[in-house]
Amino acid sequence: MKKLLALLLAATMVIGLTACGGGSTPTTTAKQEQPATTQAPAPAATTTALPAAKDVEITLWTYPIGKWGDDASVKALIDSFQKANPNIKVAVEYLDYTNGDDQVNTAIEGKKAPDLIMEGPERLVANWGAKGYMVDLASLWTDADKAEINKAVQSACFNDKGASYEFPVCMTAHCMAINMDRFKEVGADKFVNVDTHTWTTADFFSAVALLAESNESVGALYCSGQGGDQGTRALVNNLYGGTFTDEAHTKYTADSPENIKALEELSKTKGIKFDAAINGGEEINLFRQGVLDMAFCWNIAQQLNDTNAPAGQTNDGKEIVFMSFPSEKGESKLQGGIWGFGIFDNGDADRIEAAKTFIKYFAAGDGVKDAVKTSTYFAVRDKVNGADIAGIWADNAVMNEYTKLMPFLGDYYQVTKGWAEARTAWWNMLQRIGSGGDVATEVAQFVKEANEAASK
Amino acid sequence: MKRNAGLSRALRIRETRAGYLFMLPSLFFFITFVVVPMIICIYTSFFDSNMGKDAQDTFIGFGNYAELFQDKIFLGAMRNTVIIVAVSVPAVCVFSLWVANAIYNMRAGLTSLFRIIFYLPVVTGSVAVTVVWKWMYNNYYGIFNYALKNMGVIDKNINWLGDSRYALWAIIIILFTTSVGQPIVLYVSALGNVDQSLVEAAEVDGATRNQVFWKIKWPQIMPTTLYILIITTINSFQCFALIQLLTSGGPNHSTDTVMYYIYYTAFKLYRYGYGNAMGVVLMLVIAALSAVQFKLGQSKN
Amino acid sequence: MQSKKTTAYRVAVLIIVILLALLFTFPLYWIVTGAFKTAKEINSTTPTWWPGEWTLRNFQTLFSKLKAPLWQINVPFSQYFSESGEAVVASAGPEVPAAIRWMVNTVWMAVASMLLTCFTAALAGYALAKKRFAGRGLIFTLIVCAMALPKQVILIPLIREMSTLKLYNTLSAVIYPIVGWPFGVFLIKQFAEGIPGEIIEAARIDGAGEWKTFRTIVFPMIKPGVGALAIFTFISSWNDYFMQLIMLSSTQKLTISLGIAKMQAENSTDFGLIMAGAAFAALPIIIVFIIFQKYFTKGITMGAVKG
Repeated sequence: MKKLLALLLAATMVIGLTACGGGSTPTTTAKQEQPATTQAPAPAATTTALPAAKDVEITLWTYPIGKWGDDASVKALIDSFQKANPNIKVAVEYLDYTNGDDQVNTAIEGKKAPDLIMEGPERLVANWGAKGYMVDLASLWTDADKAEINKAVQSACFNDKGASYEFPVCMTAHCMAINMDRFKEVGADKFVNVDTHTWTTADFFSAVALLAESNESVGALYCSGQGGDQGTRALVNNLYGGTFTDEAHTKYTADSPENIKALEELSKTKGIKFDAAINGGEEINLFRQGVLDMAFCWNIAQQLNDTNAPAGQTNDGKEIVFMSFPSEKGESKLQGGIWGFGIFDNGDADRIEAAKTFIKYFAAGDGVKDAVKTSTYFAVRDKVNGADIAGIWADNAVMNEYTKLMPFLGDYYQVTKGWAEARTAWWNMLQRIGSGGDVATEVAQFVKEANEAASK
Repeated sequence: MKRNAGLSRALRIRETRAGYLFMLPSLFFFITFVVVPMIICIYTSFFDSNMGKDAQDTFIGFGNYAELFQDKIFLGAMRNTVIIVAVSVPAVCVFSLWVANAIYNMRAGLTSLFRIIFYLPVVTGSVAVTVVWKWMYNNYYGIFNYALKNMGVIDKNINWLGDSRYALWAIIIILFTTSVGQPIVLYVSALGNVDQSLVEAAEVDGATRNQVFWKIKWPQIMPTTLYILIITTINSFQCFALIQLLTSGGPNHSTDTVMYYIYYTAFKLYRYGYGNAMGVVLMLVIAALSAVQFKLGQSKN
Repeated sequence: MQSKKTTAYRVAVLIIVILLALLFTFPLYWIVTGAFKTAKEINSTTPTWWPGEWTLRNFQTLFSKLKAPLWQINVPFSQYFSESGEAVVASAGPEVPAAIRWMVNTVWMAVASMLLTCFTAALAGYALAKKRFAGRGLIFTLIVCAMALPKQVILIPLIREMSTLKLYNTLSAVIYPIVGWPFGVFLIKQFAEGIPGEIIEAARIDGAGEWKTFRTIVFPMIKPGVGALAIFTFISSWNDYFMQLIMLSSTQKLTISLGIAKMQAENSTDFGLIMAGAAFAALPIIIVFIIFQKYFTKGITMGAVKG
């Protein structure tokens, strides 16, 4: 009898607490979503009352996109925005490429996702947008935006159903870099064309062979995580003209003979290491320290970076030259980087509206110039509502030189379905090949895993 | 007779009420933040549940569990978890007992100096310590390769964290240095509290150093040993930061533990139901282990 | 003969212990010296054992990077009533470098976990050991089974639950699960079993109430156990990176461990900054440890020896 009583007591306690633990979830979400519908007319009412708009506080989470990861630079941008929109307060948080995704994912589960996020379509469109967490920004695109913004960029910001989860600001082409002093030292400089910044696959391997005579680590296929993985993909794809996905972005094609050949060549080339202990950022470090002779994770922001040494030099003062990835004819397809803003649907119409104002200001308004300059990348548009901004980098010789690479910008395939899972499978595959796995088998497994995610 | 029974019943009610009142604060936290999530975890493990705002959970019974035992990565993670616990727990216990035995009867100042030193990695914090170890293990210019190369032990750099043959052991070593601090402190005082008259008596009787240790000291420090076994086991199972910060489970999942793989499944593969099924399996294994450990400890007492 | 052998053995042991001690001191040595090295030295591929030139630049960068209010006290439970679902701020401190705020958070988190755990576990451990109530066996079995469980197991349910309770991204979300973890109850129960039943019985016959009995008779007897638990909880919550990682996201809520991990991921080029952060994180607690060493170690040991 007593035992039964105790059991009952325990059961009621457990049930009671489960009820308030798990059971009340729907009610709170309902409560949270309520304002979105009931308060929807509210902004309309306030707009008639004009600037009496009520104060809104929104959060912006940004990845380290050039100086968008630097607090002082971002504060200046936010200040200029708040001067124009005194009723909107913006709190900024900085993410990194190692843990940033996990941080956003946990925040989504914790229902504390930021209002605004700044990153590329591969995350905003292909991942969080596809999972239904983001606000469709299609209505934000005016005819002027559609006319002025780069077409390839536009298509990356919309999904196949015409919804847009990203409003783009800046872009670049990812490339690689070489330590020119080392190249000259071993006489490998004849293999690179420093004027066009291009080279062929044969030249690349000849240069690596020469460098490997005096350095056992010429280059590293870093694969400890996804950080900087665009570099390893671009290298593999370009060597023999393979592609990462099909043109329609429906399936992953890394198992093509070209890609397999590239990986096989790389894995047996002396001086090229598959390094599962480092990611892209650490590879850049090693390159700057003079350990590696080339870096595959490079772009204009790196070329302009002057944290430890003058821009364009390694820590010990050697000259850094940026190069396109080697390909058979010297005409590689560079991996594009696109960055812009997206809005998480937090169910609060006021905050969504404020976030849209923010986007309009920095992506299609007065703030574009500063936003782009802070990113140290290129603008996705030459004009903003008719006003010409093409000259923002006119005084920067390095930026001008870098524009030579922009015509090589290739397909932006990072919006293929299942992208987040596919990129995880990619670095796992590199790790397996690095520890002696058979290239064809491992690539086949990668494609299987990636396509499974794509077909979900 | 009857009155007596009535009294004991009143007493029993009083005891029960008092017992639950005393239990209440603890039970509140235990049930709300441990038991309830566990129940949700068990429940979700029967569903194909993924991340996504409109993602629908579909009931698949034991589907996740069936998949688990086919999943080579999970089985590998299970193996790694077992290796970590099975290696680090005895190693920590033996090592800390040895060090404590060596330092407990030094001059007071020296003893406390050594005690502080071996405690340093614990108080420095695992994240801060990890920063240094990552540099020490660096393939290209880390101190281990530097030293071993200069001593002529190796002629090619070893990629400690990037090579599946070494990575798990590299992590176990760090775990080890951050785990021995507390056991050493515990053993030093336990040994200091051993009844000295017994030791002297034994020595007079001509007992060897070994005999004195095993026959006199060891039984007296047994409770300390049990406590150390428990906290070291708990700590070893909680080994997450080292893996997340150093290898992210790689290379080639060779440093995945079940704990890290659950995190990976949730936030890299977005498969919540599957991750929860792993959690349930781990829960069962650990619960069984703890129960056995406890029963053994009790029967010995 | 015997004594010579013993001396030789002792010397050998001493040398090994000293070597090990050097190995154990090395990380901290490297952090502290690294924090004062110039960028050139710290990024060099050949190790520099002693800074050739001492610089404070790393600390300057550390303290100039991010800012946060020194403290922020919320109106309790206000997050359940406010329109935005955010807590109402009752008091916010002056702007200071974020690293200092992280330290404040970490100390608060560790101390609160420690106090709450000791309080709840002392009561519950005593009840489990000395009170004969229905359901006791069931509760104790549950506790033993859950005791060694890693928190990763309940990752997703816990995040969702915290969000439902509006605790996500607060230090409470880190503290409560630590308090709920039943190891402490188990430990205290083992201790309290040693209390002779007659003493409690005597107090009862003297007319002392349950609470008074606990306070005046039981607590002094389990104090060493509570001391051991306090230290264990403090250290493990200080180092419990996982709960912090999944529950905290905004700059002003971070702990020092998270802050350093984040700095490491963000500024892989500025190794000196990371070392400065690590030194800043480690030194206060090490100084506290050295000062309170006697008290600290006494607390742990008495507990275990008697347990």
